[in-house]
Amino acid sequence: MDQPHQDDAMSFPTDRREFLAQAAAAAGATVLAGAGNSTSSAEASGLGPSPIPQRAFGKTSDKVSILGLGGYTLGQSASYEVAEQIVREALDAGVTFFDNAWEYHQGQSEEWMGKALKGNRDKVFLMTKVCTHGRDKKVAMRQLEDSLRRLQTDHLDLWQIHEVIYYNDPELISARDGVLEALSEAKRQGKVRFVGFTGHKDPAIHLDMLSRGYPFDAVQMPLNCFDATFRSFEQHVLPEAIKRGMAVLGMKSMGGGGEPLLQGAVTPEEALRYAMSLPVTVTISGIDAVSVLRQNVAVARGFTPMSEAQMQALRERCAAVAGDGHVELYKSTVKYDGDVGREQHGYPSPKELPL
Amino acid sequence: MPDQIPLRALGRTGIKVSALGLGGHHLGDVATVDEAVDLVHEAIDAGITFFDNCWEYYDGRSEDWLGRGLKGKRDKVFLMTKVCTHGRSAALALKMLEESLRRLQTDHLDLWQIHDMAFDNDPALAYAQDGVIHALDKAKQQGKTRFVGFTGHKSPAVHLKMLQLGYPFDTVQMPLNPFDGTFIHSFERQVLPEVSKRGMAALGMKSFGGTATSIKRGVVKPEELLRYAMSLPVAVTISGIDSLKILRQNLKVARGFVPMSEQEMQALRERCAAVAADGRFEPYKASLLFDNPQARLAHGFPLDPYNKEVKEMFRLVAGGTPSLK
Repeated sequence: MDQPHQDDAMSFPTDRREFLAQAAAAAGATVLAGAGNSTSSAEASGLGPSPIPQRAFGKTSDKVSILGLGGYTLGQSASYEVAEQIVREALDAGVTFFDNAWEYHQGQSEEWMGKALKGNRDKVFLMTKVCTHGRDKKVAMRQLEDSLRRLQTDHLDLWQIHEVIYYNDPELISARDGVLEALSEAKRQGKVRFVGFTGHKDPAIHLDMLSRGYPFDAVQMPLNCFDATFRSFEQHVLPEAIKRGMAVLGMKSMGGGGEPLLQGAVTPEEALRYAMSLPVTVTISGIDAVSVLRQNVAVARGFTPMSEAQMQALRERCAAVAGDGHVELYKSTVKYDGDVGREQHGYPSPKELPL
Repeated sequence: MPDQIPLRALGRTGIKVSALGLGGHHLGDVATVDEAVDLVHEAIDAGITFFDNCWEYYDGRSEDWLGRGLKGKRDKVFLMTKVCTHGRSAALALKMLEESLRRLQTDHLDLWQIHDMAFDNDPALAYAQDGVIHALDKAKQQGKTRFVGFTGHKSPAVHLKMLQLGYPFDTVQMPLNPFDGTFIHSFERQVLPEVSKRGMAALGMKSFGGTATSIKRGVVKPEELLRYAMSLPVAVTISGIDSLKILRQNLKVARGFVPMSEQEMQALRERCAAVAADGRFEPYKASLLFDNPQARLAHGFPLDPYNKEVKEMFRLVAGGTPSLK
């Protein structure tokens, strides 16, 4: 999950995660039956729950779990103890992909994840993001040291440029002494194995990044059943990334804050199944409570993709509400644009400009 | 005797309007109704003939105050207001028209425009069977408006879609300033030539970028921005004016107006591009800041509870009285 800013009064009830979990529970029985999920039969036969499948990480020989744990929402858990329980249960369930970013909750997301992963670092594929927002390589390398320290490790599996969302970001990133040079340097130093970039705003900005030719290993983008009919990353960016053999990391499978689900357009299971049925390596999921983890793990275990016909039917159902972008606020408003990026780009703070 | 504000042709309508227009939203920002009336009177005396307004500004206050200011002077001005269906029906549009006429104390508008074509599906909704486009025809037939057009501040693509769908608008309103002129999504480069090609009148707005942040941060001077906007091939530049001080500042530029040379314009564009390529001085494109509560509600976008108009809306819903001071 890329960075949404903190809940505020104009958004949705603060207990929306709970609402989603309840909605999931209500819808769960039918969805699981309809999906022909193998969990129940495997459990009935005494073989234990099905594992979460793994997929190849782009052109590399690494494999990661198709469900990833988002770092932003982990830092929003009720307490460190809850966050630790989420990390432990995720590990036990077979989640190996862990997402984070230097700027999430002023470092708390990285600190909590580092502490909770203690002793299990080697079992996971650990990603975090660098938040220069146009600043130079030196800033990036300093942030890398902060991230490694907080995550209690000597290397990352993946280090990505965070929040490439402003129209001049590709130029600033590619400038001499910019953050791209930091990516190459960190690889040379053995502090990161792979590199990539993320953003939630506009397919044109992602395509600009790709067109400049830097050999990214991964690219992260919002992918969900609403995106398909509004400034679509699925249509415009996903095929380009795949053509280049890059690992594609999907995020915002439920539309960011879950608003579309609250409006009853789809169930959490449908939304997650759709995202995971796309040709992505992993779907990074925002999880801030054990109940949400269990809901999403239930979809990921023994995952069977939707058929193209099912996906098309869902796209068509969503098109009716998706055409103006009000269910993808990360594209149509500034709500999900983080504080540090706004400050670097001269935009007002979230308090002054919430949407 | 000061120089006159130039008059310019309004597209192919045969009408001429003053190159500087008085914006209706800021009129509703003025502290009291008496001050708003004074502002309107001084603008008319200075030679401003183009008056902008909109059904939804401050829940009708802007129209109400302009109507009071124009009392006895209606025939001296070219009066525009806008209809705020935001995707809803022609029948609703015609109801809004009656309210606008009543508040403005007139039996006809000179120009009635579809307000705030902001969201990607707005053109399809406007042209739908029973969409607002059909209300424009009806209002013209009934003699309640002489001309029609549309406005929007968000995306050149939305404007182009409105034009491609083919309705013969008389006017098109859009944000025009040197930040727009160099941004990736530019009304000046992408929409203005298409409007001119069709013989429609272009109405410029947001010459200061909506919030005037660039002026407050010392990047540009107000005179430079207004001169730039008025130097483009537009019929009028509608200016947000909420005090006699700002009115007089802008009148200084408009009286005996001398356009910038192309070199001057290019130099200003380059200065602006260097600091604004991320859209920081055009919040109406990058954020929902300028999308009115009615537009957000009709489309299902969240409201911003700190917004002045939203606060007023909540107050009225709770049983408060309109704040006509």
